[in-house]
Amino acid sequence: MSDREHLRREMDRVLRAPGERPDGSISLTRRTFLHKSLLQGAAGAAAYGLFPTLSMIDLAFAQGGQGFRFAWVSDTHLYPKSLNTRFVEKATRAFKDVQAMSPPPDFLIFGGDLGQLGDPVELQLGADLLQEIKVKKVFIPGEHDWYLDMGATWNRMFGKAPWTFDHKGVRIVGLDTVSHAEDFWTSRKMTAKERMGHMATLDGTLGGAWAAVGAEQLKWLNTALNDWPKDKPVLVFSHNPLYEYYPPWNFWVRDWREVNETLKPFANVTNIHGHVHQPLYNEIGKLRSIGMLATSWPWPYAPEGVPVLTRAMIRVDPGEPFDGVGWGLLTTSANARTDAEYKMWRKEVFATTQVDSGTGDNDNQILSPRIADRI
Amino acid sequence: MVSAKLHESLIAVALLALLLGFGAGPARAHKEAHTAEQLKAFEDVFMEQVKIGDLLFHGDPGTQKSLGVQLSKTGMACAMCHPYTSDTHPYQFPKFQEQMNAFATLRDMINWCIEKPNEGEKIDANSDAMKALEAYIYWSNRNSKLEPGVH
Repeated sequence: MSDREHLRREMDRVLRAPGERPDGSISLTRRTFLHKSLLQGAAGAAAYGLFPTLSMIDLAFAQGGQGFRFAWVSDTHLYPKSLNTRFVEKATRAFKDVQAMSPPPDFLIFGGDLGQLGDPVELQLGADLLQEIKVKKVFIPGEHDWYLDMGATWNRMFGKAPWTFDHKGVRIVGLDTVSHAEDFWTSRKMTAKERMGHMATLDGTLGGAWAAVGAEQLKWLNTALNDWPKDKPVLVFSHNPLYEYYPPWNFWVRDWREVNETLKPFANVTNIHGHVHQPLYNEIGKLRSIGMLATSWPWPYAPEGVPVLTRAMIRVDPGEPFDGVGWGLLTTSANARTDAEYKMWRKEVFATTQVDSGTGDNDNQILSPRIADRI
Repeated sequence: MVSAKLHESLIAVALLALLLGFGAGPARAHKEAHTAEQLKAFEDVFMEQVKIGDLLFHGDPGTQKSLGVQLSKTGMACAMCHPYTSDTHPYQFPKFQEQMNAFATLRDMINWCIEKPNEGEKIDANSDAMKALEAYIYWSNRNSKLEPGVH
């Protein structure tokens, strides 16, 4: 067992109360898949790719809440239109899909990385496209939105995170997990564009372990949840996962242990996150995490750390721009259950074998700092 | 059963090996032993190409300009879909490549990605840029075992 796996198991052991087992929603998820595929006249779990509703992950919320639906869009990575219209088309399609929902969702959460290089032109383009959506919109930033001007344009246009509000019996929290990079730019006398370029490079070295909630925001989170009953549901939105998936690509927050400790007293916490551009599902203690699609492009599963509870996405065709991307619809039912649906623009979403998911493809890699960063 | 012709060939190879001194000393009897400095120089040549390939793979404009290539016209770079060259599978080539519906080399695949997702300009298969990209991709997958033809 690797050190990372050992640590992960230890954290789960510490955080899960005696006698608790992983949430039963996993088995319900399988039943949902089988049920849906039978309805479609398809045979067996291999045929659970549904269109357009493509996956179901059931989450148990506390009883007593009202049903509601909300939409998640993130990782649009818009360039100026003069350079790239492909990402504009895909973001537009997602926003039109959301707006076409009937009945409409209660709100849209935009989960970060609206622009690619934090350019005000990109962020304004995103704001223009988002005009398509008439329901309430809430925002959290991604690192691509932030490091050109350290969030100045983002905060002015979309408001500051963190924030919280209550909605139909659920306390909802939006976090900023991107603004806590150590200063690697001042001593190197980098321009703002150079800083942004390094932060926009997923496998770059200089940005380091930039993803974090941070001590101040953790204190805020404690306060924000202080008056909330421990048995009532909490929904946390973040750009990065709130557990350790793959630190070299910042598929984590570096203070995930502290975040988990803060959320530990609550019986029902669901984290919805972006950044990973791929379906993910994980549970640590009572914290469930769901990774959402990007509209821009999919990422391969990391060489290690893919949660075992994840149903892996099928390999996509890089020659088809609308493959492997999409948005998410989350539905809290009247009996206080929530379905998360991947709205991917293809028929099959999930792989049934590892060769078709690629989850085992990159474990050959010897991880080392980016060679061009060794200045 | 070993044929008479092959048997004669094996004897000839064995005699040649004896003449060259195989078994009695270092296997590099046909040349001088490498010095540490030479080996370091060889590695430096390779790593310089790896670095150039890294820069190209990450879309560095200066490196593309200096080599006279345009790998993308969309702002996308190879590394955006292939962080640390993930999912490039260099150890599987040559193989049948679905997207091309053809038997392809790694260089063919690199050019396909340049032309299709990146909408860039195809590069000469034997160009410096191609060799550098290949060096970076292979270096990043240096722990792999060869699996040619595997999909």
